[in-house]
This record gives sequence, C-alpha cells and structure tokens, in this order.
Amino acid sequence: MTAVITTFHPSLAQPGYRLFDGPLCDVADVGVGQIGVVGMPSDWTHSSRLGTRFGPESLRRATTLLQSARPQGVSFDPDTRHRSKPATDWLIDCGDAEITPQDVDATTQAIAAMTEGLAVAGAIPLALGGDHYNSFPACLGYSRGLAKRSSNTRFGYIQIDGHLDFSDRLGAWGSHNHATNARRISELPNLDVANMVWVGITGWVDGGDLALIEKQGGRIFSAGDVHDLGAAEVMRQALAHAMQGCDELYLSIDIDAMDAGYLPGTGSIVHSGITPRQYYDLLDGLAEAPLGGLDIVEVSPPLDPSERTEFLAAEMLFRILRRFRTRPVAEK
Amino acid sequence: MPLRSAPLPRMAGHLSFMRAQTKAICDVKSGDLAVLGVPFEDTSAPYAGQSLAPRALRETSVYFGWHANPQFSHPVDIEARQDISTDGLHERLCDLGDISLGSDGEIHEALQTATSQISSQGACAIILGGSDRLAKTVQRALPDFQTAQLGGRSGDGDDFCIAPLVGKSATSQQANVAAQLAAFAQWRDETRPLFVRFDLSVFETPLSVLCDRPRLGGCDLDTVLQWLGALGRHEVSAIMLTGLNPNRPGMGVVKVGQRLMVTALLAFIYARLGFAIDRASSYNSEGKLPI
Repeated sequence: MTAVITTFHPSLAQPGYRLFDGPLCDVADVGVGQIGVVGMPSDWTHSSRLGTRFGPESLRRATTLLQSARPQGVSFDPDTRHRSKPATDWLIDCGDAEITPQDVDATTQAIAAMTEGLAVAGAIPLALGGDHYNSFPACLGYSRGLAKRSSNTRFGYIQIDGHLDFSDRLGAWGSHNHATNARRISELPNLDVANMVWVGITGWVDGGDLALIEKQGGRIFSAGDVHDLGAAEVMRQALAHAMQGCDELYLSIDIDAMDAGYLPGTGSIVHSGITPRQYYDLLDGLAEAPLGGLDIVEVSPPLDPSERTEFLAAEMLFRILRRFRTRPVAEK
Repeated sequence: MPLRSAPLPRMAGHLSFMRAQTKAICDVKSGDLAVLGVPFEDTSAPYAGQSLAPRALRETSVYFGWHANPQFSHPVDIEARQDISTDGLHERLCDLGDISLGSDGEIHEALQTATSQISSQGACAIILGGSDRLAKTVQRALPDFQTAQLGGRSGDGDDFCIAPLVGKSATSQQANVAAQLAAFAQWRDETRPLFVRFDLSVFETPLSVLCDRPRLGGCDLDTVLQWLGALGRHEVSAIMLTGLNPNRPGMGVVKVGQRLMVTALLAFIYARLGFAIDRASSYNSEGKLPI
C-alpha cells in the first residue's frame, strides 16, 4: 500500500528574470498606461563588436537585482526629495520578439508587431536591445500603433547617443543596420525630422548627414553642449524642440553616449566625457515628458567583464521610468 | 592613394593605421607622417600584453579612416562644427609596418635606424608602442633632441613634463594649460629635434582602464587634445605612444584605452597636416584660453 505523502507546495517563481521582476504576460494583456516590455536579442545588424543579443537578459537581471535592494515600502527619494512608494501593476514583460538572424525583414516585422500591439492598446512599449538597428522596428511598430489609435497624432523623437545613426547606407550592411536606424525612423509618416533631436553626439560625424538633419530642422546637442550648458538645460531645450506640434515622445536611449571609461560594454565606444551623473540628469529631464514609447539599446555584457555596464544601464531605466514605478506619498 | 577598402567591414581588409597607404621606408618624403609599430614587451612590466598595442591601435584607428571610405561625404567635428579637411591625409600619412622580431640588439638597431632615416628625410615618425623602454632607443636616433612628455615614467630633468605633474592636481593642470604652453614655448629650441612621449597614463585613471601603470591626477581628454594639437604645430621628429596594454587581465574585450589614445592622437595628426580643429570657441566659453 502506498503511503500518503503530504507535499509542501511553496509558491514558485517564473524561471529566469523579467524586467523589474514584473509579470511575464502576452502583449494582449498589457493595458492603457502600462509599460509593455519587448526584448530584442539581436546583434547581427551591428557592423563590428557584437554581444548586444545578451542585452535584454542582462537588463532584466540587473533591474531585478537593483530593485530587490531598493525600499519595498514608503521611502524618501533623495533625487526627487519626495516620499514615494513602489507602484504595482505598472509593467508587464512580454518576453522577446522572434529574431531571425540574417533576415532583416522578418526580424523587423516581428519586433514591430509586438510594439504595435502595445501602442494600439494605449500601453507604452519599452524595447530592450539589441544593437541600435532594433530601435527602428521598435519605433516602426509604435508609429503604426499610434496611427491606428489616433490617426492625426504626431510624435517627437529624442535620441541620446554618441552617434547620429543617420546614414542612408553602411557599406556591406546596406540600408538596415545600427548606423541607419535614425534615418529609417525619420521616414516614418507621423514624424517630421524637425521634431527629431539628438543628444550627446561626439567626435566626427558625416557632413552630408549633418547637413541633411539641420536643413530639415532637426536639432543636435553634442557632448560638449551637455558639458557647457548642463544636462538639465540641454534636455529642456531638446524636449521643447522635439515636442513642437506633437503629443507624444519616442525616446531612444543608446547607452554609448556615456564615456567609455565609465561604460565600456557597448559596441561603438566613444570618449564623450559624459559621466553617469550627467546621463542620469539627462533622463531626469524627461521625468514628466509624454512618453509614448522608448527603447534602450547597445548593452553588450560580453564586452564588459566587470558587469558595470548593465547596472549603469539598469539605473537609466530606473530614472526614466520613475513616475511609472513609484507613486508619490503625501508629506507628513 | 589610401587603401580604398570600404565598404568592407572595419575588421576586414588590409590593416594599416587609419587605412593609410603602406610605404617602404625609403619612399618616405619630407612632411610625411610615417607610422611605425614596435610590438614588443617590457619584461619588467606588471602585466604581459604591451606587444599587442600596435595592432590594437591600428584596429581602432580604422574607425577614423573616413578619408579612405567613399561612402561618407566629408567628416565634421561635431564639437567645433568644423569640417575635417582630408586634404593631404591621403598623400602624407603612411604606414611602414612593424619592426621585425629579432634579438634585443637587432630590435634596438632596427628602431634606431628607422627613426633616424624617417627624421633625416624630414618626416615625422609616429611610433606605436609597446614598451616605453624603447623610448631611449628613439632618442638615440635624434641627435641633440628635446623631449616633451605626456604621462609615463619621469624622464630626464631637461624634459618638458606636461602631465602628470608631480604634486599637482588634475584641476590645476587643466586650468594652467595656457601658462604651461607659454612655458613650453620658452623651453623649446626650434633648432633641435623634438621628441614627444605620449603615454596612456597621461589620462585620469577612470578614463584609461587599460593603462599598465595608472597614475592619479591625470588629464581629461580635452586637455590632452589641446596639448597634442599644440605640439603638432611644431616640427616634431617623432611621437611615441606607450602605456597601452590591451591584454590587461580579463580586459581583452575592452577597447577603451586604444580608442582614447587614437582619438587624442588625431589632434596631433590634424595639426601636423595643417588643418587643426579650432576648439577655441568652446574653450573660451569655459574661460579657458585657446591654444
């Protein structure tokens, strides 16, 4: 006779990490005003140093670990100087898009389908790269979703980056790669180049690309501008320029705008002199911006044995998502 | 003509500094900038890997090889909002390759002979190290030389030591660039060959990472750019890059040191070719004096 075994059933967690330890659900489960996370583990559209396909996983891990170390109840936030408590049901991780290496169209459409679904539902797609090319399909889906949700609504675009990424083509990689994403985004129907702003550009840029941007009214703030004017002022001007005649903002966060001395784990390093503090101040400047969608790209864990890159990038997400992940608490 | 390898990927094709043309040393002409690699170790260095520096510097320099890349219209320095002229770069920048492996004696002799020949032909040698112990060999090739030193181990008392200055903070160095330049102009004897030692340790430690002998109190990139731009306006016989170890334990994938050095070296190259970037306006806005 078999003995009856009384089994202890502890509650089990989902395997693996989700961004900010949020729930893993389908795109269709994300509601209005929630952040819907889409992983884009793809790096074959980068031209030299790979590894960003591990970016989404590392961001999920780093945000979860950092979050576990933060106050779980009401606390005083030294950055805002206000009391707040963690929000609930503010983010859903929808997993990764289906990536098809060497098939740029299939990869593009798979990512875009997820961000489109989120945007149509009134959610805010947050796409995790991947190399910076993947910003284009993420924004493409957002653009399509926005058009379906509100056909006359236009959006502004801010790209924090060490590079313009405005080339029409890049050598052997053709028209769809990490140097052309902003150019492809500029061709979307509900965005004008006059509402595109770049922040943190450094070093040399292609003169033809620069002239084309400025001729069409786009605005560029260099790393030197961040040093001279201050991060807060640069972002104030950037936001004002991007939002002229627009209702929503799409933000593309390329981590490589930060100086490579601080943040080496990325494909195209630059020496911008931009410190982590300055980068976070840039993001704090968008705290109240009408975010419609965003992405964070170029986190390449294999290129940084110290792992500090993924934690610096995770902190960027803590900054830009502050108003979603916390709720203010009345002062005593 | 440069090697028109674009649109090849950066890592593909023939590797030369900034995709410059390759030349035999006998073909170097007056006014040329001749790149020479010395891929050798310092056996007393704390880590092995300096011999990999010349290749690492060449690899990262390809990012700046726009003059050999027909897909770009023309490069612009985004900070200065100034076109980077590529006139002369095609003709005057050349890569001679590396000093060959051999016995210690053979290596020193080859380096001394090559430096002497480049200098005597009126060109400037850009020497990619490697160990800074080979600097003495370069100096022997330049009779009655003067040495200006950015970073690295202290040299002779007669050298003009730009940074790091013993007992000085980085802030005071940066604020005093204009004063230091005036002192440099007084020190410099235009009748004597000028040798520039450019060691990665000139940079503040958080920026360099891959420096074999990091030192506190280094400079930021802007300060080094100012100095190398100023030095490039002089008839420099040789500039030697040292201190980079791309193979610091566990750091082989981190390309920060080589990118930092090449970014700074460009200021020197532009100045030598006569199209220095004018950063005066941005410095003035901070109250700094232009060079």
